[in-house]
Amino acid sequence: MKPAPFEYFVPEAADEALALMAEHGLEARPLAGGQSLVPLINMRMAQPGVLIDLNRCAEFAYLREDGDALVSGPMTRQRELELSPIVRRHCPLIAKAMPHMGHATIRNRGTAGGSLSHADPSAELPGVAVAMDAELIAGGPNGRRAIPATEFYLAELTTALEPEEMLCEIRFPKATENSRASFAEVGSHFGGLAIVGVAGQVEISASGHCNKVALAATGAGERPMRLTSAEALLTGQVLDERIIPDAAEAAAADVEPLEDLHASAHWRRRAVVAMTAQALREIASQGVG
Amino acid sequence: MSAARRDVRITVNGRTYAVSVEPRLLLVDFLRHECGLTGTHVGCAHGVCGACTVVLDGASVRSCLTFAVQADNSEITTVEGLADGESLNALQRAFHENHALQCGYCTPGFLMSLTEFLRETPDPSEAEIRERLSGNLCRCTGYANIVRAVQAAVQEM
Amino acid sequence: MSTSDTATDAGTWVGRTVPRKEDQRLLRGFGTYIDDVPEPRGTLHLAMLRSPYAHARILSIDTSEAEALDGVVAVVTGADIAELIPPFAADYEKPGFKVSHRSALAPDTVRFVGDGVALVLAENAYIAEDALGLIFADYEPLPSVADVEDALKPDAPRIHADLDDNILIEGGNKTDGFDEVFEAADNILRERFRVNRVAGTAMEPRGCLAVYEKADDSVTLWTGTQVPHLLRVGIARYLGWSESQLRVVAPDVGGGFGPKMYLYPEELLTVAMARQYRSPVKWIEDRLEDFLTTFHARDHVYDVAVAYNNDGTVQAVEVDVLVNSGAYSNYPMGVNLEPFQGPLNMPGPYRFRQFAYTTKGVATNTCSTGAFRGVSAPCVTFAMEGMMDRIARHLGIDRVDVRRRNIVRPDEFPYVNVVNQLYVSGSYVECMDRALEIVDYENYLANQPPERLVDGKYRGIGIAVVTELGGQGAARYKARSLPDLPGFDTAHVELEPNGRILATTSFASQGQGHETTFAQIIADELGVSIGDITIRGGDTENSPFGTGTFASRGAVVAGGAVMRASGDLREKVKKFAAHLLEASADDIVLEDGHAHVQGVREMRVSLYEVARAAYGLTDSMQLPEGEEFGLEAIATYDPPASSISNACHVACVAVDAATGLVEVERYIVVHDCGRVVNPLLVKGQVQGGVAQGLGQALFEEVLYDSDGQLLSATLMDYLVPTALDVPTLEMEHIESPATDNIGGFKGAGEGGVIGALPAIACAVGDALVAFGGNVNRLPLRPDAVLELIEGGNGA
Repeated sequence: MKPAPFEYFVPEAADEALALMAEHGLEARPLAGGQSLVPLINMRMAQPGVLIDLNRCAEFAYLREDGDALVSGPMTRQRELELSPIVRRHCPLIAKAMPHMGHATIRNRGTAGGSLSHADPSAELPGVAVAMDAELIAGGPNGRRAIPATEFYLAELTTALEPEEMLCEIRFPKATENSRASFAEVGSHFGGLAIVGVAGQVEISASGHCNKVALAATGAGERPMRLTSAEALLTGQVLDERIIPDAAEAAAADVEPLEDLHASAHWRRRAVVAMTAQALREIASQGVG
Repeated sequence: MSAARRDVRITVNGRTYAVSVEPRLLLVDFLRHECGLTGTHVGCAHGVCGACTVVLDGASVRSCLTFAVQADNSEITTVEGLADGESLNALQRAFHENHALQCGYCTPGFLMSLTEFLRETPDPSEAEIRERLSGNLCRCTGYANIVRAVQAAVQEM
Repeated sequence: MSTSDTATDAGTWVGRTVPRKEDQRLLRGFGTYIDDVPEPRGTLHLAMLRSPYAHARILSIDTSEAEALDGVVAVVTGADIAELIPPFAADYEKPGFKVSHRSALAPDTVRFVGDGVALVLAENAYIAEDALGLIFADYEPLPSVADVEDALKPDAPRIHADLDDNILIEGGNKTDGFDEVFEAADNILRERFRVNRVAGTAMEPRGCLAVYEKADDSVTLWTGTQVPHLLRVGIARYLGWSESQLRVVAPDVGGGFGPKMYLYPEELLTVAMARQYRSPVKWIEDRLEDFLTTFHARDHVYDVAVAYNNDGTVQAVEVDVLVNSGAYSNYPMGVNLEPFQGPLNMPGPYRFRQFAYTTKGVATNTCSTGAFRGVSAPCVTFAMEGMMDRIARHLGIDRVDVRRRNIVRPDEFPYVNVVNQLYVSGSYVECMDRALEIVDYENYLANQPPERLVDGKYRGIGIAVVTELGGQGAARYKARSLPDLPGFDTAHVELEPNGRILATTSFASQGQGHETTFAQIIADELGVSIGDITIRGGDTENSPFGTGTFASRGAVVAGGAVMRASGDLREKVKKFAAHLLEASADDIVLEDGHAHVQGVREMRVSLYEVARAAYGLTDSMQLPEGEEFGLEAIATYDPPASSISNACHVACVAVDAATGLVEVERYIVVHDCGRVVNPLLVKGQVQGGVAQGLGQALFEEVLYDSDGQLLSATLMDYLVPTALDVPTLEMEHIESPATDNIGGFKGAGEGGVIGALPAIACAVGDALVAFGGNVNRLPLRPDAVLELIEGGNGA
């Protein structure tokens, strides 16, 4: 398990990085935190001829408020998303999900853009982005374009990015004051990789009714999926034990799980139900706006 | 195809190494084979086991998932940099007194991950300790004595 | 130096909690594991091209492009080395055993995914791996079989064409009068248990460095092994070398657990290539290769029938064992170990007097299976304890009472069980009672609702009464037809001229703590502190011949040898001291690093002075009459058949009703391994063993698909317990010393695993009693558990 040779570029500016991507096209892979890509390179399951290391691109690493959005650069470390007070304040779902991602040492290096572009169906951040209706900004030879997170994920490890494109920014809509968030996930054991997760963000009115419900599941299909039936059932309702079990059951119909060596398709579906219920209960326990 | 070598300056445990490396050289191989610091071990080379964990510019990282070229102009601490001369540091001592290691292969990775952890979380709960430990695999101890060692080190530090 | 080294409390060293001496280097990063051994200049790095097919004929191999790559020194195929390294095989006589051969590199046929096809020697490991991609091998795929039952079908593909079928070994036995007793019992219960294939997954993969010594045409092989002496015997034998041409050294080894007690192709290849190319040759296994090629374990099927009476007493037990042996039989164990150890361990703590078994080890197109902590004991104990719980449920008797009516009672020792195992002492009832007291069993039951469901979790308790076979000697290995396992071990102990003590043993260490425990034994024999003692081993050149480290034999066998040798040395020291003190040797006492005359403490000499005299480093001649110069002793120890440790494990689990995820909330072990050398280390062994057993019970599994492709080839797919999975054990010791071996010790390395499989499986069964409570296959991954909950499985 030693990497095959590659040509290595370490641009210090975003434009330079994009130019290198354009120049090397299909042969090139951008290297972000490397926590998913380098294992594949070590196993020679990925053998990019050119690596464009984004770790010295200071202008890709930022986290700031921009009107109604919290905006992250692709090279913002996951550990920063986890600990940042503005994330906690404006996008509590991200803050809730981050501790579930890998382990602290992985998050030190792992980046927002890396996880979002890698498109592992079980990964937490893509689920969060889909639940939050985040906008993913791709940059390429023809400039920048915005892709809604719900349209970004096509299949396992496959996104809407063109070969010469790169994720250049992520725009997370700020949650409103009375939004509540939770992230629940489960694996084959404790402390290992998650198999199925559910990201939930619910806007709860002073009267306790769900104004806006966003739920997304990871690990229950080829890509993160919105739980639209569950969302519809909950909208306008009071979030409590009278409805949570039904809403969770409804989620079962929203996913298209596949079987692999970790779990059967049936189990994944039941896990979506269980994690939906768990996330909703945790949200309900946070009280009303 | 062989890619151009690159010059790097990397400071490890206070000593600066200025060498030329292939871009594909993993940081862990640089530490072990270029610096001769064999205390950092390779357990899986795909980022799961944590045996290769080192502290890079203050943050714990998997040295099997980082290329040496990426550590250019950085400062690294490895397990060899923990003890103060003949004296083990408080965490190492706690590992010894609590029998927190058996074969010892995973131990350097645990120590480096915990070095960062205890700096950031000086008074951790058992749940926080176990959460942190879950990023490193140990096949010998069953973890109980590692938890005890961390608790003992916290008392001492 | 370790703080404990200077401890001088009264009393003995054996039995005391002493932190380990070896920690000092390991905690600083100064351990020397195989990849840390300094590489001589010009070391060639070996990489293996491995078969992508489970079963195929090699049609051609084109190595030209690989050979042309800069930095590549050679590319070698199976055909190239057919004469240099002949096929090797465990080739002993045993009825029902068929000899099958393995080639270090397959010359024509590959038999599992990972089988070696060619090797590259290159100037570094990166280039060696580059070259693998430039070797073009053509295969003709052959029908393959991965499943043990499929391999038994008449039309199954044959793994070894020169054999009649895929059964590599078979046997069976039945006690006299079995049928009558079996038929006469009130009830008969039948069940099939399947035990998952697992991987030892030592944190350090295997590796070797073979260094050619031009001066005398010899090779020094550094390798991560548990058995350096046995490897030297095997390599010399298969390569046709003299043993003096080969030195085998085990450096620090990052976990053994069984899989590192075999001779592997890479060891033969590095040694042979080092001599062929007159160069150091190094191979370091990566994690993918470890999962592909380091021997797996378990993968057994047990068909069990228990005949029992209405009072819960078991009258007779019958078991048919199937073991998936993988593609090849191996040195030094053959495929003999698992199929026969299952029946041997089946009776465990129970008194039934009628037993029948059949057993088969079957070849398949998978990686070989072999020893892993506990061997078959965890599997048969899972089956037996599962049967005890089923009997209890059928009869409506508490599971504790069923066990109590069947286990060997305190007044029955020494007890010979139905398969002729001698239990010289033990505490089966006492351990169970104490464990139940700790868990407050009555109270647990009183608070447990019949349907077991509280707050979304089914909670249950599991009890396992466990025996552990350890410290086996020559008699046991010969009775088991294991000709390549000598059974004895050896220690050499010397008082160095500076008055310190150096002991070398035939053992190698993989983290057990021998540098500390053997020193504790010697410290008591010679009246010194463990800080004055250095323990070495693992090097065939510097340590005496012996069997090696596996099967919980450290304290009993090597510890026994250490005790004997240091006892002999003690008597010599006394003679020299007596001479110096002008006293009688019988009156000399060794204490605090000195020899003094009994009752007259001021009449004393230090061991330093004794050593100076013994090595002739004195003004005048100080040799006692009849003594020779020097102070050293060597002794072997061959214990009687085996030592049997025992324990009771109790697991309390919570099963998430919605996901099936099992959490082990409490885990209690009351453990008896005879006289304890170092309680801290014994507890460490048990806690670590339970963690491995928990992994196997709940989620570890090596999986092949029907084409024999390995699915679980990374640590993302093969799941190892983390700190969030394993609870801190509540543990106590009871000491029933062995009465038939020199130290009174019994083995302690494997009991943790042996108990964890049944305790956790029984606890999950209890939690799911509303759905039948019958757990008969492992692992209990969430999806499998949810299936039990949703499907029920009939009681």
